[in-house]
Amino acid sequence: MMKWQRSYKPLLSVLVLAVVLLGLTSVAFAQSGAPVDPIVVLSNTQAEDPIEFETTRLLVENMRQLGLQVEHKAVPWAQYSDTVWFNRLETPEAEGGTGWQMTAWRMVARPERMDPDEFVFNLFHSSTAESGYNFVGYINPAYDALAEAQRGETNQDARREEIFQAQELIANDVPYIYVAHPSLPQLVRTDIWDPESIVDAQGIGIQNFWTWTGMTPLGDQKTIITNTGDDLISINPLYIAGDAPSRITELVWDRLMRIGADGLAQPWAAESVEWEDETNVIIKLRSGMMWHDGEPVTVDDVKFSFEVPNSGESPMYAPFTRRITNIEILDDSTLRFTLNEPWVAFEVASLAKVNLIPKHIWEPLITDLMTKEDNAEGLTIDQAPAIGSGPFKFVDWKEGETAILEANKEHFSPPKADGWVIKILPNQESALGQIQTGELNFLREWEGDSQVLQEVADADPNITLYASPDLGFRFFAFNLRFPPFDNVALRQAVAHVMPKDSIVKNIFKGFAVPADSYVSKAIDYWHDPNLPQYNFSIDEGRQVLTDAGFTWDAEGMLHYPAQ
Amino acid sequence: MRRGLWLYIGGRLLQSLLVLWVVVTILFLLFRLAPGNPLTAYIDTTFGEEQQTALMARFGLDRPLHEQYLIYLGNLLRGDLGDSFRYGGTVVDQIMEVLPNTLYLTLTSLVAAYLVGVIGGIFMAARRGTRTEKVGIIFTLMTRAAPEFWIGMILLAVFAFKLRWFPSSGTAAAGTIYSSEIEKLLSPDFWQHMILPTFTLALYLHGLPLLLMRSNMLEVMDQDFITMGRLAGYSERRLMIRHAARNALLPVMTALTLGVGYSIGGNVVIENVFAWPGLGRLLVRAVTTSDYPLAQGAFFIIAVIIVILNFFADVVYGLLDPRVGSSDQAKAS
Repeated sequence: MMKWQRSYKPLLSVLVLAVVLLGLTSVAFAQSGAPVDPIVVLSNTQAEDPIEFETTRLLVENMRQLGLQVEHKAVPWAQYSDTVWFNRLETPEAEGGTGWQMTAWRMVARPERMDPDEFVFNLFHSSTAESGYNFVGYINPAYDALAEAQRGETNQDARREEIFQAQELIANDVPYIYVAHPSLPQLVRTDIWDPESIVDAQGIGIQNFWTWTGMTPLGDQKTIITNTGDDLISINPLYIAGDAPSRITELVWDRLMRIGADGLAQPWAAESVEWEDETNVIIKLRSGMMWHDGEPVTVDDVKFSFEVPNSGESPMYAPFTRRITNIEILDDSTLRFTLNEPWVAFEVASLAKVNLIPKHIWEPLITDLMTKEDNAEGLTIDQAPAIGSGPFKFVDWKEGETAILEANKEHFSPPKADGWVIKILPNQESALGQIQTGELNFLREWEGDSQVLQEVADADPNITLYASPDLGFRFFAFNLRFPPFDNVALRQAVAHVMPKDSIVKNIFKGFAVPADSYVSKAIDYWHDPNLPQYNFSIDEGRQVLTDAGFTWDAEGMLHYPAQ
Repeated sequence: MRRGLWLYIGGRLLQSLLVLWVVVTILFLLFRLAPGNPLTAYIDTTFGEEQQTALMARFGLDRPLHEQYLIYLGNLLRGDLGDSFRYGGTVVDQIMEVLPNTLYLTLTSLVAAYLVGVIGGIFMAARRGTRTEKVGIIFTLMTRAAPEFWIGMILLAVFAFKLRWFPSSGTAAAGTIYSSEIEKLLSPDFWQHMILPTFTLALYLHGLPLLLMRSNMLEVMDQDFITMGRLAGYSERRLMIRHAARNALLPVMTALTLGVGYSIGGNVVIENVFAWPGLGRLLVRAVTTSDYPLAQGAFFIIAVIIVILNFFADVVYGLLDPRVGSSDQAKAS
């Protein structure tokens, strides 16, 4: 017995020691969870988008100070958008898959976005998470309820309250961290155009329908000559082919309503728009309108224009007409539109969006397409002549070079200019030289350094710089479906290390305002002024993590809270 | 004609077809294996899943790869290059719209560059060892080494924006409409627009013929028949132009034919600097937007032209060189 005790004693003590040690380590593990997964942040390449690239570089640097293992990966656009958009459900790349965790991204300003409905609904409603615009995968029944409620709310103040609440939910849950609303600088030759006739629309700037039709020549040069860096893809009233083509379609084709400089829809080709009740609208068509080929514009044309998108032949316009269940012709100038549910954005997103097209030209084309796999988006200008009823007539389009419009002097609101020409100038420097020589008189697109435009405007009294903050915004998006960004505290901490003010000052060179919501400050009626703010402070960021139970190891790397 | 020659031509023809088939297959695979989805060009808030699937179906992208390949080969055999994803219309229309502009620019530049190059080469050879030659060679090497876009930008800054002698972009003043290609070619405005891009391209291209011509000249001038000529009392001028230059010209002409083939692809850099609507820009855009049919079609047409030019060069060699196609062919090649 004694012998047994003596001989096994050292072994026993080792065993006890082992148990104690094990206990201690498990206590240590109980206090800190697993290390936070490595993170890859995607952005455009420096060549494609220097502003985004630099912003990402700065943010990633600060994220490392939170104890995160972060890599900044700049990818060419085709691959980048493919990953973010189509691989949203896949395992992130950092975990060995083809998906993503965090990415820089941006939303651009469009006239119809002056009503907050599109962003409020599409960006975060759960129905758009799988393949639509809710690419971050934000799922919140409370938010869904608000997004749906505001859509049917006809009392504007009540709707505003709902939109405020929606913004607050997002500000607390942080699926995005916002950077800024850029102000896109544009140059106008104010020796050629009366500066009084340039209209600055809330949230979309001077480049808008009212400027194009209102620009008043001061001398003999009466043609608006502007630029785009990309080639025009298509000029087709049933196809949204990008920014520059949209400028053309909005001038050549009329719409029942137009979005005014104040962001509200106002009657245009419609003489009046009267709501009978929440789902019925009576539209009275303006009399005496003519298509550019001399045929009169009729209520049949209007009915046809709103029915085509629902035929399946114009998928891009289908979302704007989907809720219209019936269009009834009451007499030769009046129609009744019936909706399947109340929709406050109907005027902005449908009546002011759908192009009126001549039935006598399009009906045979659409009938023919019904029997084919193709749809109307693929029709070229040779197949479907650009005949609208708008204030400008289409004249010519030279591939890779220019598109030319001339004023429609018979229009009920004829433009002050004689013509509108867009030059395709892939070379930025050349565009800049041309505004100085007068070969261009409206520089509408500029991807380079905003300060350069400031210098040009300062040096030449005939050139005026316009730059007003935009509806669009730049931000970082988290894929909420996967760790580590399924954790709200971590997202809030990252929001604290985003140095918005210094980015606006140093990277945007002051041509932007810091953003705190997806509803821009530029449309101040809808922007919630009392949103929670994430001040730039690494310490505050670390404090948020500490409060949530995160810990740091000896190397300073961040660990999850214990289970 | 000789039977061997026919066999030779037939062999070359088969070889050309094989090359084209390989090119076509590589083109097909290249764009499908490249990262990025062609639909990314369409990303929009208003775009739901149904629209995406509808688009995939419309362009046949929902079918298995081998099926897409067979459809593609079948269409090619019928001369159908397909429809552009982004532009809707047919690829052939797209290409034919910009191809003339590329031809005007490159052919004019090539002719100018080779004229200047050949004459310059003779001149340099005649001034062998002088200061003029040294300065000339340095200048030529500089134009050859400097990036085209840089030269283009400098010319733009000086002649278009500072002096305002020439327009800076495109093929016509803003708002000009030509009713036909002929009218465009007859318009002085068009030629004014041509000057800067042509000058830039010619400046870049003239180096090769100049240096080639100069070294050929120097070589020929050392040959016996020239020495004989000197002994016979011919003037140096006459020897150079009448006798040496003729012989030195042949390799330069070969370079020119090759140059034509390669120039069909357009000059991306110059087309971008001067906003010249040509094939180069169309190609780059097609590739960056994953517009498979357009990119495939454009590359295919370029490949066909180069293969055809090569084939004719081979045939001409066969006709001119009796060793080709004879039993001594192995030795000859």
